[in-house]
Amino acid sequence: MLSFVIKPLLILFLVSCAFGLVYLRSSFLTLEYSLGDLEKQKTEYLTEKKSLLAERTGLLSFAKLQVSRNDGEAFVMPDRLKVVYINKQKGYLPYKASLERKQ
Amino acid sequence: MTKKRAVILNTAIIFSFILVSLRLVDLMIFNHNRLAERAKQQHNKVEDVQARRGVIFDRNGRELALNLDLESLYGDPEMLDLKEGNIKKLALLINKEPKIIRTKVPESGRFFWIERKLEPETAEKIKGLEIEGLGFLTEAKRVYPKGVLASHVLGFVGIDNQALEGIELKFDKDLKTNGGKVVVGRDASGKILSSGVETETNGNSLVLTIDEGLQGILENELDKATIQWRAASATAIMMDPFTGEVLAIGNRPTYDPNKGTAASDSEKRNRAITDCYEPGSTFKIIIGVAALEEKIARAGTLFDVSKGSINAGGKNIGDVHKYGVLTFSEVIQKSSNVGSIMIGMKLGKERIYKYAKLMGIGEKTGIDLPGEISGWIYPPERWSGTSIGAIPIGQEVAVTPLQILRAYAAIANGGYLVKPHVVSEVLSPSGEVIASFRNPDSHRILSARTAETFRDILATVTEEGGTGQNASVDGNPVAGKTGTAQMINPVTKRYSKEKYVSSFVGFVPADNPRIAMIVVVYEPKGQIYGGVVAAPVFREIANQALSYMDIPRDDNAQRAHFVVAR
Repeated sequence: MLSFVIKPLLILFLVSCAFGLVYLRSSFLTLEYSLGDLEKQKTEYLTEKKSLLAERTGLLSFAKLQVSRNDGEAFVMPDRLKVVYINKQKGYLPYKASLERKQ
Repeated sequence: MTKKRAVILNTAIIFSFILVSLRLVDLMIFNHNRLAERAKQQHNKVEDVQARRGVIFDRNGRELALNLDLESLYGDPEMLDLKEGNIKKLALLINKEPKIIRTKVPESGRFFWIERKLEPETAEKIKGLEIEGLGFLTEAKRVYPKGVLASHVLGFVGIDNQALEGIELKFDKDLKTNGGKVVVGRDASGKILSSGVETETNGNSLVLTIDEGLQGILENELDKATIQWRAASATAIMMDPFTGEVLAIGNRPTYDPNKGTAASDSEKRNRAITDCYEPGSTFKIIIGVAALEEKIARAGTLFDVSKGSINAGGKNIGDVHKYGVLTFSEVIQKSSNVGSIMIGMKLGKERIYKYAKLMGIGEKTGIDLPGEISGWIYPPERWSGTSIGAIPIGQEVAVTPLQILRAYAAIANGGYLVKPHVVSEVLSPSGEVIASFRNPDSHRILSARTAETFRDILATVTEEGGTGQNASVDGNPVAGKTGTAQMINPVTKRYSKEKYVSSFVGFVPADNPRIAMIVVVYEPKGQIYGGVVAAPVFREIANQALSYMDIPRDDNAQRAHFVVAR
């Protein structure tokens, strides 16, 4: 009676194991495909990142700023005659701002 | 009947199993190695690990050289469809004659390059042509996003990323890396499965002492000066006088390192270190410091130069203007040849030579750039009778602009000879510092007192009565010296009357120097004097540089006193 139950169960188990192995192998391959696709995507994004970085660096170059400056729209070197340097006062003092001639 | 059929069926089944078994034995035992190898070839693909040179940064972390991944086009001669229409379309896209593509096709082999490192748009258009036998491989292309900026420092690489010039060449061992191979899996259709390994490796990166902003300012003004004076060439170097860090270095003519292989030798030459010239009056610093160190003169010592000329070894050498009696300080301020020769004669040739060598004349500075030359100054035993009249005024001596700048930096920093350098750090691909050159060796060559005295004397050069007034900057005193030297005519071997080298070298602010700089203009047209040609260039660069570096004015400018309560 016992063998009548165990034998089919064992056969069922073996068949399940076989299918399980096939399923696991298939899942493993699917994952490898997905990872492969992601790696390809990563490479493409990295390539794009590199070209965007180069573009950004080129746009921020001093020569570009100079060209823009000539258009009167961008970077201008501060006029040293008009620069005011601010010294931070230490200690508790009334809230005020003032201009003082350098001693 | 039924039994007979059963026997036949059984026999057939058994026979089939035997056949299958035999085939399996054949496949799994007798042909195992061959088939396993074939399977391996089909399932595994050996790919090159892409080797990328390290990035080059300026001192503020701005990229000066980096890499792009671009596709290169190759052909398989066995598969390539060489129809006239196809070739014409392809030739149009890569901007080449069809016959040039045809000449590239080899007689044997299954691979040849058609065009390397294509622009992405061009590669896409070629893919759209769907020509059989064409393929693409990704390659790294070295890119210099700032164009001509700092080209003589950076150098460039060839088509296979082999270093050819500049820092690329000098630090090639650090920047480059070995690619190697990696095995990746693929399915029957050739689709790549996950490799799980990095297919790209990067070299070490470099951090330069160069500041992109200062470099831009310097090169911009060099451009203007070259055009204004229709000069054959020009050079300027800006350096931190205390550390020897080169902040900017530029030459004209120049080139775009992105097209480096197409540049001429003249454009590629880093004149700041590869060309020597007779320094003229900028060399008077040697005589000056030697006289102070040897206590032959003090700032107020008088020299009678009223004759306007002096005889040295039978040769009369004169001043541009006639002066009366000048103090030692005024000899330098007015750049009196007669006064300098008188000091030189008091010193004697041994001591002149000793101090010239001490200040780095005739010696390589050891800068970390390829191609530096040492220049020369003859030892005393090789001096001619007229040398004692020539060398004190900067003739019969050959220097590089960097050597002269280093000598002036020694005055600026209180008497130390520094080692100029352009690389401050080597970084690993993960960003760790693996080598630092931030504190290179420097050694004292002059007493602090001599340096201070001479610094004050050089500051008078840009004041009223000095030859370098055009170098003065609003708000900060400039210390420096003008130089005007005749060039040797290579045909006659005599000094040319048309070709001059105009220079100005100095530092600013004079009492607390932040930058030391030299400007050399070769063969200016219209004017020849260093005070007229080079000094204004120094002023323009210094003015902007001080503003860029946020260095306060030293005069009585308004200062805000900002008081904030807690």
